[in-house]
Amino acid sequence: MEQWVVVTIIISAYLVLTLTIGMLAGRKSTDSVAGYVAADRSFGLLVMYFVTGASVFSAFAFLGGPGWAYSRGAAAFYILAYGALGMAPFYWIGPRVAALGRRHGYVTQAQMITGRFPSKRLSALIALLSLIAFVPYITLQMRGAGIVIEAVTDGNVPIWLGSLVAYGIVIIYVLSSGAMAVGWTNTFQGVFMVVIAWTLGLYLPNRLYGGIGEMFRQIDAARPEHLVPPGLTATGDPWTWGAFSTFILVSAVGLMMWPHLFMKAFTAKDDDTMRRTVILFPTFQLFLIPVFLIGFSGVLFAGTPQAPDFILPFMILETELPAIVVGLFCAGALSASMSTGDALLHASASVFVEDGVAKYVDMEERTQRRLMQLLVLLTGATAYVFAQDPDSSLVLLLASAYGIICQFAPPVVAALYWKRATTPGVIAGLVAGAATAFFFWQTPELKPFDMHEGIIGLLVHVPVLIGVSLATPAQDEAHVQKFMG
Amino acid sequence: MSLRLARTLTGVYFGLMLVAVTWPGLVPFSRVQPLILGLPFSMAWIAAWIAGSVVVLFLLDRVEKRYRDAGDPRADPSAGPLGTGRSHPHRRATDVTDPMDGTAGGTV
Repeated sequence: MEQWVVVTIIISAYLVLTLTIGMLAGRKSTDSVAGYVAADRSFGLLVMYFVTGASVFSAFAFLGGPGWAYSRGAAAFYILAYGALGMAPFYWIGPRVAALGRRHGYVTQAQMITGRFPSKRLSALIALLSLIAFVPYITLQMRGAGIVIEAVTDGNVPIWLGSLVAYGIVIIYVLSSGAMAVGWTNTFQGVFMVVIAWTLGLYLPNRLYGGIGEMFRQIDAARPEHLVPPGLTATGDPWTWGAFSTFILVSAVGLMMWPHLFMKAFTAKDDDTMRRTVILFPTFQLFLIPVFLIGFSGVLFAGTPQAPDFILPFMILETELPAIVVGLFCAGALSASMSTGDALLHASASVFVEDGVAKYVDMEERTQRRLMQLLVLLTGATAYVFAQDPDSSLVLLLASAYGIICQFAPPVVAALYWKRATTPGVIAGLVAGAATAFFFWQTPELKPFDMHEGIIGLLVHVPVLIGVSLATPAQDEAHVQKFMG
Repeated sequence: MSLRLARTLTGVYFGLMLVAVTWPGLVPFSRVQPLILGLPFSMAWIAAWIAGSVVVLFLLDRVEKRYRDAGDPRADPSAGPLGTGRSHPHRRATDVTDPMDGTAGGTV
């Protein structure tokens, strides 16, 4: 049997297994909106840990990370640096949000923000911005799945077909069982990905260079600029410190503002589970090290992949590993893409329906659930179209989305900790911040110090939020007390 | 250690970490040699800060937990910045024991 046939059989077996686990888990959750969105608030530590880890580490880390290490060198270290910084504040924010969720029945981020700042428009604005940010994120996951499948099947299954099959399965289990499926499949996929990444990350440098230190010594001798932060741009020129630093900052601020991660506060079984997840979270960051090693192992390797994002599967195939290892690796990378993709699809639909449409149209729970399922299909289809663009970079797709998502941080902090914040202040800040980020995203040549547009957005957002809040009448003491007390 | 001190030190650690992994804090450590465990120096530097953050969060949690167990309202998230807290209706007796206490520090 040819190698790619064996690999395809292993992948198919893996996909069937994922689908089965997803469908079985779905039968246990209750048939209500709370059951669909928040899995009846019943996740334990093990599931929480892998749900969070596996939803954070995706095709972005698994394929985009090595792609950057390979093509842009030390620039990839930004991905390593931001996670621990972004997660730490959630030690306090998470349990606060969870307490409010239990008390007022919130299941989304926008419900919590508009609980403090009542406004239909604000809710719709958050829903809209979330959806805009989700599409490139889902796009990168689909493209990642397609890249892996195309590479390991030797081009016999092209990107369009691979991403279609992988995401067809994701959509089936998201539609049928919601968050419960998301949790159980992520546990399975999370374990899988960690094992595969460490194994290959240690194996490849040893096999190709005779050791990790030896590999870096050789890269340093041949391409000294490659390993020194802030690294290189896509064209091989030196990257700027301004961009490197603000990429870390914008990702750290935005990380837990992603609705699918923020919603974890509402799905956690109890506060201790959530706190332990925060404490253990940086261990997931360290898992990026072997993944980067795989990317670095390609730097001095003869032969080039068709695009940097292909470097991981490319390296695996070039070393003529047995088909079984290639198949298992492919399943690991696919799981990275799919476990995040399912959480994203699920969250984008929940947020858009709960916080956007349901604010303006009175709906029964059944109708609302139907509408969410329809939206999962529509969002999936939109992302699928974008995923076919051959020029996109997986890392840059996510980095752009962070420009919008980090604008949710000031409203969340204001809702939880600033008594004097007002609804007009929060709306004005959000509009000003998002508009600024969008403007500089469109005109990158105007960016001061090559800063990430999201940070420039925040520099406008925060003063506007504070200024307008102070210029408008304070909220009713009893209302603030109800929310904070 | 008091709750306030533990929280301040945690904040200081993450503040320093932010400076250490960006401009200008990373500039002096932005080099390849010496390799640490085979990794370029700057990569090992960032990884060390990440490993340290697990330790810091673990120690913070021990202090926070002591205050929570003593029923101190400052450590109760449901109390918020104002007023007093309520009990957690969803917390079960079995969750109070902490099976990860031993392993969390060992993960570093």
